[in-house]
Amino acid sequence: MMNYDPSLLKKLYRNYLALREAEKLMVEIYYTGKVPGHIHSGEGEEATMAAVLELMREGDYFSGHHRVLASTYLTGVPFRQIFAEIMGKRTGTARGVSGCNHTCDLSKGGLGTSSSLGCDTGVAVGAAYTCKLRGDGSLAIKEYGDATSSRGPVHEGMVLAASWELPVLFVSTNNTFGISGDSRELLPTKHPTADRAQGYGMPSEVAQGNDILEIYEKAKKLMDYIRETGKPAVLETMNYRWRGHFEGDLCAYRDEKEAEAAMKSDGLAKFEKELLAKKIMTKKEVEAMKKEIAEELADAVKFGEESPAPTMDDVHTMMLAEEN
Amino acid sequence: MAVKTYAQAVNEAIREEMRRDKHVVLFGEDVAKHGGIFQATKGLLEEFGGARVKDTPIAEAAIVGTAIGAAATGLRPIAEIMYGDFLLVAYHEVFHMAAKWRFMHGDEFKIPMVIRSAQGSAFGAACEHSNCVEPLFIHSPGLTIISPTNAYDVKGLLKSAIRSNNPVLFLEHKQFYKTKMEVPDEEYLIPIGVAETKREGKDCTVVAVGLMVGRALEAADILSREGIEVEVIDPRTIAPMDYNAIYNSVAKTHRLVVAEESNLTGGLGAEISARVMENAFFELDAPVGRVAGLDVPIPYNVELEVQVVPSVEKIVAAVKTACNK
Repeated sequence: MMNYDPSLLKKLYRNYLALREAEKLMVEIYYTGKVPGHIHSGEGEEATMAAVLELMREGDYFSGHHRVLASTYLTGVPFRQIFAEIMGKRTGTARGVSGCNHTCDLSKGGLGTSSSLGCDTGVAVGAAYTCKLRGDGSLAIKEYGDATSSRGPVHEGMVLAASWELPVLFVSTNNTFGISGDSRELLPTKHPTADRAQGYGMPSEVAQGNDILEIYEKAKKLMDYIRETGKPAVLETMNYRWRGHFEGDLCAYRDEKEAEAAMKSDGLAKFEKELLAKKIMTKKEVEAMKKEIAEELADAVKFGEESPAPTMDDVHTMMLAEEN
Repeated sequence: MAVKTYAQAVNEAIREEMRRDKHVVLFGEDVAKHGGIFQATKGLLEEFGGARVKDTPIAEAAIVGTAIGAAATGLRPIAEIMYGDFLLVAYHEVFHMAAKWRFMHGDEFKIPMVIRSAQGSAFGAACEHSNCVEPLFIHSPGLTIISPTNAYDVKGLLKSAIRSNNPVLFLEHKQFYKTKMEVPDEEYLIPIGVAETKREGKDCTVVAVGLMVGRALEAADILSREGIEVEVIDPRTIAPMDYNAIYNSVAKTHRLVVAEESNLTGGLGAEISARVMENAFFELDAPVGRVAGLDVPIPYNVELEVQVVPSVEKIVAAVKTACNK
């Protein structure tokens, strides 16, 4: 940790904290009836995107996953727009007509997500093709999970990216479960994404999903490789899903002791403790950061509540782009 | 003006648009080195190079997905899915993603992409290489579907499709690739969403799609000799369908037959006849007739295949029924 620029460590902490607080708040507003659809909480899984997106540059693209929805905040989308979308309001990223998996902003590199998870792999591959034609060292990041890694279009996308030698970072946030299915039982290898990378001729790294610095270092190594060679690579982060697949899921299928242990080894609390111990941040700084994020989030929910609902006009105008 | 094949017209449309706009790229199975399974993309690799004209692995979902991502980020991809039947391997990517990506992610998104695919019966191509897929895709709001039926139309419509800012499913019929007609050398565009009356008549309208356009025109010749004057409308664009052209024709002839190659149930005829009933019911003097593929898988044996795909005779019979003759 001592080799890091303190400002980067603070930034990583802020990324991690902001995503954590946003995840918690999404669950909270779900239970107070402010979310018309479903929330798939990513609490406990924030470190991966908190690290990877810190390495995203202007001109890069990002297609996210259905957990840690607020990840796009780290690409520059304000919480206001993210929460308004989740709350189904017209001021959301997609005017509130699309909901929780659609909180991106294309002008900030956001490519979007298919709620048929993994089917969007090709979208990131296509963006990487644009990057390659531009020849400016930019890349595309495609995030998905261990369970999604079995879906055909994920493999097809990986094959095409490898065949065309396109700059894509495939990131699998392995949280051990696909709804109720335990990936350790259902999938053939321990690291379902990273272990398959070799078959596509891609380098891969595996990191602990609750260790933001390990993730940052491995992501940096792979992203440097991708920018330099123009070829794809795979990062898999090993973690454990804290909450149910959706809110209301009683998780009867899992071992509660194992779940408790996972929650006890919270990477954010550990990282905070280390930053304080090594005097990279003071208690006061941490508290000020927490307050600032809490205010930003509270403002976002208020903004969502006060925002108008979309209308059928929005539905119609959003279908097709204007012709020249 | 020169006589050109349908495949040459496709080739010219792509070539002209790739020369005109460097953002136009082409990829799919066997499109580059081989020039396409029907030779429609021959020579494009040589002219535009391997960065813009690319072969892909057999990975249809990724081909369509890649086109969406490329389109969203500023390119104008033309993705080829070799056979219409293979579109089903990428059904989700076409039906939900290409068609709805803008809707799902905000109106800063534009998805200017064309998916070209060869479809239809082709004498022994059998069950999984012979289907016409328009009915499977008209149910996806946001998707433009074009089915051009001759060399002149295919060139003008493909150029319009490539210039469109929205996703287009462009369905070429296998039996058309070698058909020839005069195609101008100078540039022309045919607007999307505009039907063409291929033959005028006063007694009965036949809305014919794809391969059925030629058969409807043959049927019209036969019927004319028996005193029945048929008006043949080729919608050219299947979605959005030019319903006004159909209503106007029905207002003149008061009789309608829809002829399509895809099978009857849930087909284009069902949709068109329902629309006409809703919007032009009192113009009709007879029930709308439907001529369509039989509701069976397409058999390999050619003698059976030609019984499954509608014939000129079936169109003649349907028009006579509509005309009460």
